[in-house]
This record gives sequence, C-alpha cells and structure tokens, in this order.
Amino acid sequence: MSLTPELQQLTILAEIDDLVRDIRRWLNDAPPWAPARRNRSLVSKILDRVTCLRIRLESPLVVATFGGTGTGKSTLVNALIGQEASNSGRQRPTTTVPILLVHPDIETTALGLDLSQFHVKKIDAPVLRDLIIIDCPDPDTSEAAEFGSNLARLRAILPQCDVLLYVSTQQKYRSARITEELTDAAAGCRLVFVQTHAAQDSDVREDWRKSLAPEYQVPDMFFVDSRRALTEQAQGQRPSGDFGRLLELLTNQLGTSRRVAIRRANLIDLLEEALNVCRANYDRELPEITKLQEILDQQRKKLRDTLTNQLRDELLVNRNLWERRLLSAVTNIWGFSPFSAVLRLYNGLGAFIASFSLFRARSSAQMALIGAVQGARWLKSRVEEQGADSSLERLASCGITDQQLQESRMVVSGYVHAAGIDAEQFADRRELHHLRHQAATVEGQFLGDARRDIDELIEHLALQNCSAMTRYRYEMLLLLYLGFLIGRIGHNFFWSSFLAPILGQADHPEPLLTVDFYIPAIIFLVMWSAILVLSYTWRLRRGLSTKIHKLAQSMVVTRISEGLFPALDHVCQSVISDDHRLTELRERTSRFRRELADAVGFLGGQLR
Amino acid sequence: MDDAKRDVLYKHCATTVRSLLAALTQLEREAVLLQPAALAEREWFELLRQKLIPQLGEQAFLVVAVVGGTNIGKSVIFNHLAGSRASATSPLASGTKHATCLVPEGFNAQHDLQSVFPDFELHEWSDASLALEESETHRLFWRVAKQLPPSLLVLDTPDIDSDARVNWVRADAVRRAADVLIAVLTQQKYNDAAVKEFFRKAGAEDKAVLVVFNQCLLPEDEPYWPIWLDTFCRETQIQPDAIYLTPNDRRAAEDLRLPFFERQIAKGDAKQTQPAPDNTSRDLAADLAKLRFPEIRMRTLLGSLHELTHPQRGIPAYLRELRMASEDLSRIATRLTTESVVQVRTWPSPGNSLLVSEIRQWWHAHQEGWARTINSAYSTVGSGLLWPIRAARRALQGEPLPPMEDYRRREWLAVLGVVEEIFDKLQWMADSGNDVIRPRIEAVLQGEARSRLLTLLRQKHDALDFEAELKSVIEQEMQNLRETKPDLFGMYRQLNNVSAAVRPMTSVILFSIGFGPAGEIVAPFLGHAAASAAIHVFADVAGGATAALAGEAAVSSAASSGTSMLQAWFHRLHSAFTARRASWLTQLIHSELLGTLPEDLNAATSLAKSAAFIEVQKCVLKIEGLL
Repeated sequence: MSLTPELQQLTILAEIDDLVRDIRRWLNDAPPWAPARRNRSLVSKILDRVTCLRIRLESPLVVATFGGTGTGKSTLVNALIGQEASNSGRQRPTTTVPILLVHPDIETTALGLDLSQFHVKKIDAPVLRDLIIIDCPDPDTSEAAEFGSNLARLRAILPQCDVLLYVSTQQKYRSARITEELTDAAAGCRLVFVQTHAAQDSDVREDWRKSLAPEYQVPDMFFVDSRRALTEQAQGQRPSGDFGRLLELLTNQLGTSRRVAIRRANLIDLLEEALNVCRANYDRELPEITKLQEILDQQRKKLRDTLTNQLRDELLVNRNLWERRLLSAVTNIWGFSPFSAVLRLYNGLGAFIASFSLFRARSSAQMALIGAVQGARWLKSRVEEQGADSSLERLASCGITDQQLQESRMVVSGYVHAAGIDAEQFADRRELHHLRHQAATVEGQFLGDARRDIDELIEHLALQNCSAMTRYRYEMLLLLYLGFLIGRIGHNFFWSSFLAPILGQADHPEPLLTVDFYIPAIIFLVMWSAILVLSYTWRLRRGLSTKIHKLAQSMVVTRISEGLFPALDHVCQSVISDDHRLTELRERTSRFRRELADAVGFLGGQLR
Repeated sequence: MDDAKRDVLYKHCATTVRSLLAALTQLEREAVLLQPAALAEREWFELLRQKLIPQLGEQAFLVVAVVGGTNIGKSVIFNHLAGSRASATSPLASGTKHATCLVPEGFNAQHDLQSVFPDFELHEWSDASLALEESETHRLFWRVAKQLPPSLLVLDTPDIDSDARVNWVRADAVRRAADVLIAVLTQQKYNDAAVKEFFRKAGAEDKAVLVVFNQCLLPEDEPYWPIWLDTFCRETQIQPDAIYLTPNDRRAAEDLRLPFFERQIAKGDAKQTQPAPDNTSRDLAADLAKLRFPEIRMRTLLGSLHELTHPQRGIPAYLRELRMASEDLSRIATRLTTESVVQVRTWPSPGNSLLVSEIRQWWHAHQEGWARTINSAYSTVGSGLLWPIRAARRALQGEPLPPMEDYRRREWLAVLGVVEEIFDKLQWMADSGNDVIRPRIEAVLQGEARSRLLTLLRQKHDALDFEAELKSVIEQEMQNLRETKPDLFGMYRQLNNVSAAVRPMTSVILFSIGFGPAGEIVAPFLGHAAASAAIHVFADVAGGATAALAGEAAVSSAASSGTSMLQAWFHRLHSAFTARRASWLTQLIHSELLGTLPEDLNAATSLAKSAAFIEVQKCVLKIEGLL
C-alpha cells in the first residue's frame, strides 16, 4: 500500500523527530571523558538550530544572495523581482544593510527571523509569493569580521537562510575569501550557482564547476545577464535564456511542495555535519582510550601472572597439604573400611601437626589447598582484616608488593591524563590503601577460582586412585596381616589355651599370649600400615607436579574479571559504547540524508 | 642627495643588513623554546631577505611588477609592456602560476638575476604557456627584451587573491623585490580585502605605484574612478605616481592594442575645473622609461629599511615579543623550580649494624702488625662461636633478607614516592602552565614515558652496588675522623653502644628542576653534585638527646669527645650516605625525566642577554642612525 504524499511527509517528520530525540538522549548521557563533553556542547548548539528550523518548517523559504562585491547580487535580485528594489552600483561595496524582500501577503513576524537586522521591503512580485529573498552584503571587502562590518552582518544572516544564490563572475569565481566563507555558509543550506555579467564576461562555468566539484554538488549553473533581464521584464517580456530558467526554478521549484523537503534536507545536513565533526574528534581521541585499555589489560595480566606463579610455587612446595586433601577425599569416597580407617587416622594426625604450622604461615596457596570449608572461613576473616596493616603483608605473600602497586598507579595515571578521563574517576586510587584493598579483592576472587580448580583436581585425583581394584588390593594387603594376627590370637585363645586341653589334643593349656607378643604385633601392624599408606600416598602423588603445572596453566588462561582499577575499566567501556552509539547515530543520519537527497537534487549543496 | 653620498650610505647599510641577517638567524635558533612565529612568516624579515640583502649595494636597476587580483588582466597589461605575448592570457581565473620577467639587454652580464630573486627557480623563457603550469617550486621565466630601457626589470606576477595560495606567496616575493608596482584594479576588485591587504604592505614599503583601472566602461565609469581611487588610496595609504584607465575591450586586449588613458588626480578644489578627459592613448613602456630611477630606488630601499625598523611592525616589535615571552617563561620557570621541590621526610637509612660492620671492615683493613693479627683472630673465634646461634636462627626464621637488600627495597619505595610526587607536581604545572613548556612536560608525563622512566630507574637501582657506595662514604668519613680525632680506638670500642642509641630520621629536599633562584638559595650539599641538582639533607635524631644538640660542631671540635661526639659523627655518616643517594636520584631524574628542559629554560629566560639579541639591537640602532 503506498502512502499518500501527506502521510509520507508525516512519516519522515516523525522519523526525524525520533532521530533528534535519540541524539538528545545521547547528549544527556555522557561518559566522564573530556572529549565526549566537548563534542556534546557542539552538537547541542546545532540541535538548538535544528529546533528553530523545525518550527519554521512550513514557512516560506528564505533565499539569500551570496557572493563577492561587484558580482551583481543586487542587480540579480532586482532582475528577479522585476524592479529596482535594491540599490546596485559601481562603488564597492554597494549593499551594506541586508535587504529583506517579502510579499505583502506574508506576515513577516511569523517568519522567525530577526527583522531588526534587515531593511524590509514589501514588494508584490510573482517570485516572492512563495519565497523571501534577502540581498546580503558581501564577504570580501571586510578584512576582519568586526562588529558592524559587512562580513559580520553577513554571518549573522546566513544561518537563517535555506537556499543561497551563490553569485560570481569571471573575476571572482576563484577568490579565496569567498570560497572559504562559502564553506561555512553552505552548511545546512541548498545552493544555486549563478555566473553574472554575461554581457561582458566569458563563460567560465566549466572551470568554476571543476573548482567546486571536490566540495559541492553542482547540478546546474546559470549564466545570466541581469540587466537585460530587467529591461526585458520592463518591456513586458518573459526573461529569456538562463535567467528565465533561474526565475522558473525559484518560482516553481521552491514553492510550497518542496519547501518542507528542502528544510528537512538542510536540517539533516546540519545534524550530519555536527555528528561528522564529533566523529572526527572521537577518532582522534579514541586511540588514547584504547591505549589506556591496553595498559589496564596489561596490568591485569601482570597481576594474574604474579598470582598464578606464586600459587603454583606454593602448591608445589606444600606437598603434605595435598596429601591430606587427597586422603580425606579418598576416605570420603570409600566410607568405612579397615584401610580407610588407617588412612583417616594418618590424615588426622597429619592435620593435627599441620595446624600448628598453618597458624604461622598463612599463605594464600595453603589456604586454597585447605579446601572449601576451612578456606572460606579463612577468606572471610581476611576480608574483615582488610583495613588492617596485615593486609599488606598478606599481599606481599602473593607476590604483590606496595612498590608494584605504586608503579602501576603512576603509569596508569599518565595514561588516564593523556586520555582525558576526568580526574575524579581516578581519585579514589590516590591512596595506596585503596589500591591494596582492591588488590586484596582481586586476590580473593582469584583464590576463589583457584580453590574451585584445586577442589576439582583433588576430586579427580581421588577418583582416579580409588577404583575397586586398587581398594581391593590395599584392603586385602592390610587384611592379610590383620587376618594373620587374628588367626594367631584366635588360635591361641580358643585352641591352644582352651579347647585343645579339653579335647585332649594337648597335655596342658598353653598360656595366653603376653605383652611380648602384642608389642611386636602392634609394631608390625604399624609398620605394615605405614608401608601401605606410604605406598598409597606415593601413588596419589604420582604426576602431581605435572598436574599442578597444568592447573597453573589453566589459571593463566582464565581472566581476572576485575583489575586494580575497576572504575577506569568501567569508564573505558562506557567511552567505547558511547563511541558505538555515536557511530550508529551518524549512520542513521547519513542514511536519512541519502534518502532525502533525491528530493532536493535539483539544488546544489555541500558534499560529504 | 648626490650619487657619491648615496653610494656610501648604501654600502654602510649593506654591511649592517648582512650582519643583521646573520644575527637574526642565530637569534631565531636560540629562541626556539619560546616558540615565536617563524621569521619567514614575518613581513619585515622577508623584506630583508628578498629586497635589502640582494639590492643594497647593487648597481642601480629598477624592478617593475604588474600586480593585482586574479583574472583582471595583469598578463594583458604586461604583454602591452612587453610588446608581445610574453605571458599567456586566459579567460579562466588563477591562470598565471609563475612570474615572467623581462630583462633588458646586457643585464645578465652585469648582474646576477638569481640573487635578485633568491626564492625563485630561474628558467629562460621559451613559451608563454610555461607560466601556467603548476609546480611545487616558485619559478621565474626570464626573457631578454630589446626595447626595454636599460636597468629596468619588468615582471608579470601571479594573482594575490585566488584560492591557490601559493600564488600569493609568489606575488608577495615579487612585490618585496619591486620598486615600482603597476597596480591593476577593476571596479569589482578595487575594494577587496585581499587586494587592500596586499597594497597596504606595498604602501608601507613606499613603493612607487602606477594604478591601472582595467576593464572600465567608458565613458560611464568616468565619474566613478576618482571615487574608486579615493577609497583605494585611503585604505592602502598609497599615493599613486600615475593613473591610467583602460576600456573593457576584449578584442583590443587580445591584439595588444589596448589604449591607456592617463588621468590626473583631482586636487582638492579642482572639482569644477576638471579638464575634459584626455583620451589619447599613452605608451606605458615609454612612461616607465621616463621614471626617475635613482629617486625611486632610494625611496623604496628607505621604505623597506623603515619597515625593518618600524616600532610596531619591524624588528623592535620582534625583539619586544621575544623579551616578553622570555620574561613570561622565566616567571614560569621560577614557579617550576619552587613547585617542584620534593621533600621526603623519612628517607630510609641503612641499618646501624650495617654501618658498624662496614666500619669494622675498614678498621681491619687499616690495622697493621700484631693488632691486625689479634683482631682477625678474635673475629674468627667470634664468628666461630656465633655460628650455631646463627644457624639456629636461620632454621627457625628462614633465610633472613640481607640487610643491604632490605635497604634497597626501602629505598626503592622512597624513590617511587619521590617520582610520583614529581609527576604530580609536573602534571599540575602542565595543567596550569603556559603553552611553551606544556607540551614538553606533557611528553614526559605520558604513560609510556612514565613506565619507561620507572623501568630505567628500577634497572639502575637494582644494578647499584650499595656495598661499594657505603664503603666509599665510610672511607671518606673515617679519613676525616682520623685527621681531626686521633683517638680512633676509643671510638671503635664504643661503636656498638653508640650505634644502638642513634636512630636517625633523615629527610631530604630535592630540587628536581634545580633551576632559578630557589636553586641558588640552597647551596649544593655535595661538591660533586651537579650545580643544577641541588639537594638538601636534614638529619634528625630520635633517641640520644645530646647527640641532637651536638650536631656538626661536635664533630669538628677536637675538644669534645665521648658518646655525644660519636653520636653526632654517626649522624653525619647517615646524612652523608643519604645525601649521596639523594643526589644519585636527583641526577637521574634530572637527566632521564627532564632531559634538556632545565638548560633550555635557562637559555630561553636569559635570551635578552644573549649575544645574538644584543647584536640585532645594535644593528637596528645603526640602521636607525643612518636613516
């Protein structure tokens, strides 16, 4: 279903409003980054102009002349309206006060223009029915835009214009001052290119077009003789040639139907221009942010490597802790059985002894090894102590020294400053104990991860070494001795000392086994158990170092989610996402601009 | 002024101007830190280079240049002067890219054309269209013109107002060299800003100007040209020597038969009695030949010299600018010095046991004969006896950190503190400082630069042999003591008691920039420290009140003795070591962080006293005297 033109208009308008709203939302949501704020003030200024344009969307187009002095701006205007309304002359400059030509039927106050700047003339000319024409002063007789100079007056008017009649001559079409001024003036304006003085000058439109081509879209150029056109009109003829075409363009094409399209295209042009400037500024400033991110990543990586190395070294050193964890895991799986009872006993003794050493050297790795329950308790106590002096010591045990923290801070602050991130984002890092606190948090997270990995590793090792076969073997070996012992004792107790004499198998009962028997029996039991336990733990520890190395390797790969400077990480991310939003807004605006360009393609404009 | 007098004046000026140029180049090199606008961007300097240096002292000749905006017929007028199509014409703007020069016969034999136009690449004229080609270099096509009067160079120039700005540069260069300008104006362009700016400079240089109003609508423009001329003269301060009108006749222009109608400037009351316009065409070339060469030459040279010494536009303004910038910088530098003072309240001291053991070693090395044998025997026995105790302690507490390593660690922490404080202060300076030094400071404050400096400092710090440092300090102090105080043995006996009581807190003040008055207030503590790296060390005492009172005097006074003297001496030992360490740091920071900044600042702030500055001043005075 195709929409009626009016509905189409409204749809486009709604879309523009939507875009403007999104831009406004973007404006109000700035990351704490100096370039972001600077650029936003630019866009918000343009947005004010957009609002102004939006209000005037339906009022008649403002067409202004633009060009060097003596190029015949006033003469052209006179010819367009068919009467001498603006003084033209041979003295330079002729026009100093801009002249606003308006049809008597148009209410001047509703135009949204500052009328005090102009000399207003109400003229009933056909061309003025749908347009307002402003005859502007020149930009090239003033050497500086001082107050009251022609240039200053011109600059005040230009932002209010919708279409510029760029008037030039053979002498002036390459004039540097005018082309420079045009670059500013053409933003948010459509252009119509007119070469005057056709009676005296050669046609330079081709060369002119060539010099304009890199920056402007030039659909058409008019080569007019304003004087002849005025005489023709005075004689009641229709103006001929290029002038006729120009008059036709102004009268018919810039009427009500195209008005909205032109204004809208101008509006989008302005927006795109502003966003382009932002984009360029961002592109220039963003590398600093990327650099900062890299350095933060580097710091994070360094921290993680330090932690990992320290952990690995300590894990490798603390063999007995491993043993204990492994044994308790195995006994948990096996439940109660003679051999596991022996293991438990051994483990219990070990824990009892280790508990002394543990209270002295509370290194992180040991804590990670102790396992979930004890470790969690220990970690909690750590967090409570974080404000205390001892946190420094503990950090040092993880290989993180004050020096390193200070160095990190110094280097990072250099990057932060270069990137233009607001100082207060970094302010909370000024104090070393803040950094220590953060380092402890990071360490805590790291240890949490490490603990999980260690638990898994232990589980794995335990499972590997408690297969039914292994268990059967060890149980059998233990039971063998126990069986022998019970056999010996039972034989003596039931048979030799009791049943045998009764049954007459022996002459007299043998005496019960004495301490002389039990002491060696127990000694051998202990020795046998010890051999079994040792062989089993040896078995458990087989390949442990490779596994620990592997574990450390896997820890290196895992990412620490937070570094020493989480606030900065956050700012970097918000800057990056801000950048993405800008790109998206700009692309939307450009797409819009392309869509709207066709409707006003008959007029010239700035290229991007 | 007769010719002889004039020649003498020229000679004088020529030598002065040459030494002025040398001095100026030197001055610019020295003032580079102040970042003044380049000399080459200054009108008077270009005038000096392009006009005065080549033409003062040369045989008299006159340079005539046709100048004006783009596409108003400069080349057409020039061709009329040349009598042939020497310069290509085109209806398109900004056509002429290079200068064309007509040279009288025999000129090249007497003069060097290249020295007259030092910025141009000279080519012999072969085709008019050559001047239309674009190129990076400024070209000048010369051609011998037989009909020209001797000693008259006539040039066609590129435009002064088109968007090809390189044309402006070329036109400006020709303008400066010229004595006579043929100003081509049109009703469209006579009041253009670019045109006015160009001719205002010409007016200031006192060039002779012939105005040609080209493309006039005659007779309609007859009443207008006086108004145009009036505006033009008012805006540019030019008094034209002659005025011509040429009609807008394209055909005649192409055929080189454009008439030049001379007009007289109406005198104040002559409005009514203005004679009917004289419409006989003049021969421009012939009029040029009639010009009074020596007067005009004198006039333009003097004009240029006046521009050179102009109080607002010339060298005096430049010197003033430099002096002000230098004074500005010196204020900043003073602030930088006072602000960059870093005070470290507790610089770590090496442990007393370390000092004592070093002293013992020194002692042993300086013992002779049986005393030495006995001493070493004692120490061997002592260490033998102590061995089990040490071993037990090692077993219990683990391998202790060597005391020097411990000191190294603590000192590194102090170094980091100093560096960070300096960073912070410099950052603050950069944020509030002026544009001249901000980029330099910011460069050293960047993240990369910081981490580079830290790595370097750490490397140097890790590589330091503290043992040797300490040894040399003790060596020096013991020598001192031996000279002033013969009772060394007594001191040696009390060493342990005394050292136990002394707990020095050393604070250090570092002048990290070490420049300007603040640097002079505090005399360098150490003789060998660089003058710019001033440090000051205060040793404060905790414990041993007598020692605190004793101070330096106790050490040097031979009368005092006993513990108080020894404590004071111990102090001095600490301070000496700390001073040595602090100066090490200061020098490193000085060289690695700040580089040549302090020296550059120093040079820049005393620029007004430099030889080049004074030489330039002298030359200006001399020129002013000659004028």
